[in-house]
Amino acid sequence: MLMVQNSYIEVGAIILFGIGFMILLLNNNMIKKIIGMNIMDTSIFLLFISIGYIHGKEAPIIVDGEINAMGYVNPIPSGLMLTGIVVAVSVTGLMLALTIKLYEKYGTIELDEIMNMRSD
Amino acid sequence: MSRIIELFPFITILLLLIFGAFLTPLIKKKSSIVRTNIAINIITMMMNLVTLVYVNNYGTFIFKFGHYGSPFGIIFHIGPVEVAIAMMFSFVITMVSWYSFYSIEKEIEEKRVGFYYILNSLLLASLLGIVYTYDVFNGYVFLELSTLAACGIIIVKDKKENIKAAIKYLMLSTLGSGLVLMGIAFIYSISGHLSMEYIHEAIVASSLAKENLLLISIVLFSIGLGIKSAMFPMHVWLPDAHTTAPSPSSAILSGLVIKAPVIFLIKIYYVVYGFEFVNSSRILQLMLIFGGTGMIMGSLFARRQKYLKRLIAYSSVAQMGYIFFGIGLGNELGLIMAIYHILAHGLTKSSLFLSAGSFIEQTGFKKIEDFKGIGKEMPVTLGIFTLSALSLIGIPVLPGFISKWNLALASIDSGMIYLLIVILLSSLLNAVYYFPIIINGYFGEDNLDGKVFKSKSKPIKELIPVILLTLAMIAIGFMSGPVIEFIRSGIYM
Amino acid sequence: MKNILVILPLILPIISAVAISSSKIIKDKYLKLFVAAVVFLNFAFIVNANIFSDLEIIHVITVNEFLDIYFHIDQLGKLFSYMAGFLWILTSFYSFEYMKHEGKERRYYVFFILTFAMIMGISYSGNLFTLYIYYELLTLSTFPLVIHADSKEALQSGKKYIIYSFVGATFIIFGMMILFSISGNMNFIGGGIKGIGEYSDKTLLLISFLSMFLGFGVKAAMVPFHSWLPAAMVAPTPVSALLHAVAVVKSGIFALTRMTYYIYGPMLIKELNGDDYLIPLVIATIVMGSIIALHQDHLKKRLAYSTISQLGYIILGILMLNPNGLAGALMHMINHAFIKITLFFVVGSITYMTGKKYIHEINGLGKHMNKSFIAFFIASVSLVGIPPTNGFVSKWMLGLGAMEANQVLYIVILLFSAFLTAAYLFPVVIAGFFRRGDDEKEGDRKELDPPRLMMVPIIMLSVIIILLGLFPNLVINFIDVIIVDVF
Repeated sequence: MLMVQNSYIEVGAIILFGIGFMILLLNNNMIKKIIGMNIMDTSIFLLFISIGYIHGKEAPIIVDGEINAMGYVNPIPSGLMLTGIVVAVSVTGLMLALTIKLYEKYGTIELDEIMNMRSD
Repeated sequence: MSRIIELFPFITILLLLIFGAFLTPLIKKKSSIVRTNIAINIITMMMNLVTLVYVNNYGTFIFKFGHYGSPFGIIFHIGPVEVAIAMMFSFVITMVSWYSFYSIEKEIEEKRVGFYYILNSLLLASLLGIVYTYDVFNGYVFLELSTLAACGIIIVKDKKENIKAAIKYLMLSTLGSGLVLMGIAFIYSISGHLSMEYIHEAIVASSLAKENLLLISIVLFSIGLGIKSAMFPMHVWLPDAHTTAPSPSSAILSGLVIKAPVIFLIKIYYVVYGFEFVNSSRILQLMLIFGGTGMIMGSLFARRQKYLKRLIAYSSVAQMGYIFFGIGLGNELGLIMAIYHILAHGLTKSSLFLSAGSFIEQTGFKKIEDFKGIGKEMPVTLGIFTLSALSLIGIPVLPGFISKWNLALASIDSGMIYLLIVILLSSLLNAVYYFPIIINGYFGEDNLDGKVFKSKSKPIKELIPVILLTLAMIAIGFMSGPVIEFIRSGIYM
Repeated sequence: MKNILVILPLILPIISAVAISSSKIIKDKYLKLFVAAVVFLNFAFIVNANIFSDLEIIHVITVNEFLDIYFHIDQLGKLFSYMAGFLWILTSFYSFEYMKHEGKERRYYVFFILTFAMIMGISYSGNLFTLYIYYELLTLSTFPLVIHADSKEALQSGKKYIIYSFVGATFIIFGMMILFSISGNMNFIGGGIKGIGEYSDKTLLLISFLSMFLGFGVKAAMVPFHSWLPAAMVAPTPVSALLHAVAVVKSGIFALTRMTYYIYGPMLIKELNGDDYLIPLVIATIVMGSIIALHQDHLKKRLAYSTISQLGYIILGILMLNPNGLAGALMHMINHAFIKITLFFVVGSITYMTGKKYIHEINGLGKHMNKSFIAFFIASVSLVGIPPTNGFVSKWMLGLGAMEANQVLYIVILLFSAFLTAAYLFPVVIAGFFRRGDDEKEGDRKELDPPRLMMVPIIMLSVIIILLGLFPNLVINFIDVIIVDVF
């Protein structure tokens, strides 16, 4: 139990990942799937940024020209996650565009209905 | 001069990204877009060739972005394995672009032709990035880029099935990259580095204190990259995507896109974790099992297919099995053969898809049974198809045989002789589904009536790229000795 | 330069086959002339290569110690190449006439000539790997010949042929992989590769030997891998004659000899008791082949099963692992080739002239096809093993080998099978000469002997059968060199 308390961010991230994963897999609705995917991505961002966070330290923004590496949290994960977010946004964008296409071609965005269509 | 050559890998990616992918869309005339992109592809190939010769003569070199070495900057590690793979990638893409120059209009709408070439350049850039990089996060970004571009060249055809297949691919692929990113997060939390070599140092320094965490991360990497490279149980997206895409795209997807993650995975295994950890964890056995079942099951699935391209797509699953099998053997020869098979299969499968694409394009049929007697109408194309298929079946001297032979030796080396049965069974199964196509193609007499010799054959100039691919495939088989030695000189273990 | 002369017989047929495949290069009316020229020229090249080679080693492509395509002409290779080269000439003449009614002549000659190159490759190959490559290519190049008729039945048989061959190839490669990982060297050396016997894991050696033997045994029609051979009889008769009684099955035999005596060596196999596992299969091959042949009404099928049984003799000789046994096996390889090709040629003539394919149809035909049936009679006598024919000589040698191996059982089998051979071949002769045809009147005699192009090879072969029976030393002296080299 203590372990969970100490690392509640990680635990939360993993739970979020699970939720996102399940939504992605179990839902047939494309939009819901995309939401699930985003939750999943967000959980990873959360996990990653939590790694860089050091309790009690400040954001790495230089104030009054004082430079002291010990005073700041690790900025690299945040920087990486900016890239990660960009990637996630582009994937989401493509996915949404594909959903529109899917609606145009099939007239629905429920994947199970689309799968059934193949039989005809 | 040598300083300039060391810039080449960087320049090629820059060229492809900036000129190919970002500037050519500004051009109005469609034919100029096509020509520019093909020119860029050819330049990339030439530069890679120069780099290949350079590496062969002077050995591995490191390219530092902005002169910041690792761990602060991103570095490219350009060794024998990287240049060999990069050369193969750029060669195949160039040949495929050349081939599509004549025929892509028949498969996709004219207004999208420009996009197709732009996406090709983007894809090549990202694939080269994955191959070169020595930075895990950089690799992740390139991996995502390649997924998006690969999706692009599937949906460029804009048919119902393409959209569906692309969604399936994108969804699973996102899941895979999510897992990879999670793995990176874990490994960063252990080591505090992103540069592969420094992560390795940190892991060794911590003397495996956090073994469970390491184990979780290596599994995440394996599964994540396994999804992207169609490792057997995670292959479900592949047949749809590779079947519905336009044939040149299928060639690229099957030949290259699923190969790049494997290279990344090999780097993760041997550069990041190091041989000792990988060997002591049971991950290699997992690879071996997945690879072995893939080899058999992929072929069994392929045997049941009615559509030609779908059959070839399933055969890709089986062939990826060989690669994972080689990695899973966990000895040097196995790893070399995995990389050799990446080269061999990239060339073989792309020429196979292109020739199958020519059949479909010229006749309009898609089912295998309709291709009886095709050898009379398109003898050269079927000849190419036959050679590639024979390589996959494992006729000696062709590269498929070399891989199988050495994989077998590697399995004997590692003391697992029963694995020979898997290899041989798989190659027998390959014969079972490729031979009927060839035989019916050449000798399917009842369907030959009314067919005119060479009547549907493409002009020979349109076939030159495919012929070149086949020649390269044969060459890599005949020169397997030097090629294997070259790979051995840069192997990661 | 000398090297080029030596590998000419390997290259010439390939080039000619490519030339034949185009009707622009070789016009229709010159086709046969060209084929005849090629087979003669190639035989000359073979003679040249065999005489002037001086055990030369020719590396064609050497990538590493494994991927090494190289040729090495030794006595065994010479024996095989002479036999194949000579029979190819006769068969080509026979086919000039016969193939007229089969059609698709150009395709036939392309693969006919191409197969020649593969056989030459097999006989000259200097290591197991080269042999294996040519062995697989042989399958591919003979396949179009088997399915020449392109009928459903032919395709079915072709499929069977190719599946069996590839299963065999799989066995071979399995054995080869293990062997190579043990020895690292697959060059043929008389008496076996040095140092292979010192390897500690004998079971592994045994597995590789058995697997390879069974693999090569597929082409040598060994039970239980024999059933492709009767099926492949749908091919045109010259194909059946040359390929399925001589070239393909004999290349299987040749490969078996190569691997037994030039890779593992008789001493090692005795030590491993490798022969004990195979002898039951071989005996089954001999007996079963003969017995099934008895029940065949289709002439070619009867001959096919007879081939299976006779091949069993040869394999048995190989597995006796003593000088006389091997000599007998090699003798029988040559003799059986001559005998069986004669039988097939006669049967082909019957079909060609009268369209009859079954034994119950040929009653009284001997009257009309006098010379053909006499040739058939001579060949039958020889195959049964009655002096003064060549079949007797080889069976005698095999018997001596059996004595040397202290196996009375083998002799019993040989005699029993010789009896069966008589039982399935003589009825054909009897039906031809002594039975009256159903719808025939007395004294009504038609000239049904085939045209000269077909008749001359048959007569020549019958003469050779008797000559080899009278003067066997010609072959025996040739074989002695091999025996000395191996033991």
